[in-house]
Amino acid sequence: MIHRTLGIMAALVSILVLPYWLYLPILLITMILFPFFWEGILFAFLIDTIYGSGITTAVAALIILIALLPFRDRLRTYV
Amino acid sequence: MKVNYLQKNRLRHPYFRRIVFLITIFVFGAFIFSFFDGTIISIVSPAWRAENVIARSLRNSLALFGSQKTLVTENAALKERVFSLEAEILSLSSKSIQENILLELVGRKQDSNMVAAAVLTHPPQTPYDIIIIDVGSEESVALGSEVFLPEGPILGTVSEVFSKRARVKLFSSSGEETNAAFERDGVPVVLKGAGGGNFKFILPRDIRVEKGDRIFSLDITPALLATVAEVNIRSTDSFQEVLAQGPTNIFALRFVFVTP
Repeated sequence: MIHRTLGIMAALVSILVLPYWLYLPILLITMILFPFFWEGILFAFLIDTIYGSGITTAVAALIILIALLPFRDRLRTYV
Repeated sequence: MKVNYLQKNRLRHPYFRRIVFLITIFVFGAFIFSFFDGTIISIVSPAWRAENVIARSLRNSLALFGSQKTLVTENAALKERVFSLEAEILSLSSKSIQENILLELVGRKQDSNMVAAAVLTHPPQTPYDIIIIDVGSEESVALGSEVFLPEGPILGTVSEVFSKRARVKLFSSSGEETNAAFERDGVPVVLKGAGGGNFKFILPRDIRVEKGDRIFSLDITPALLATVAEVNIRSTDSFQEVLAQGPTNIFALRFVFVTP
């Protein structure tokens, strides 16, 4: 649980202070690394709200999370 | 094997519940974030201010050691001044001065009541050539207000206004189209934003375009939009692709002027 909280914090801080070519990969990595990382959708909405227009990132995050479901069940991680 | 208990029916789609949950989160997020976008930006902007201050002081402290401090500070200030003067020189031309005099004579002098604004966040933090400034509807900034560099060139227009903040879409934003004209012979062009402060457009190859040619907006008081950086012509093509650069480095924007 602590790892997940740290992951959430890292993603949030990176969105606020890092360039997009860093925070987008970080968000993707957290979505792959943590099981069922639904918070990723909210982070994607945050990106769209403060930096962009529309909901492109949020839609992408939703699709990625749904696509990851079958693969994520077959992966074992220790975070 | 004898089974003496009722077997649970297995879901045909094992991920169905989780997909429904994700879609619910998506709908919830879309609702919340669209209603509270102004509030969210207000909450986040102190972090951007702090980041700007920390980044500047870190840059200074890393770059200088002891006695070199003043030298580095002076160097940075001079560099900023050089960029500023270069942009000012680019935006000035004898033609535009004459136009200003004429406009004054016919009573259409450009309104100089501009609002100065600090840039809270800019590319590469924002992925779509969008900047967020620290003035909003409380300072009479409205949707469509034009945003200029302090030296004169135009950058973009306000795309969203909050009470104390505004979002500015730069003309160089990907897919954005802006009507403009060449200074050299007044040929009208449609600048297409290519991201990162760059533009591209296609012209017939017979039109003479050279590196460094300036492109101005089509307003009554034309402002510099871009300068030609590269011209690509293939011998078999009847068109030429022109790549142009915005008048400033958008990755280091600090202040802008906004027309109320």
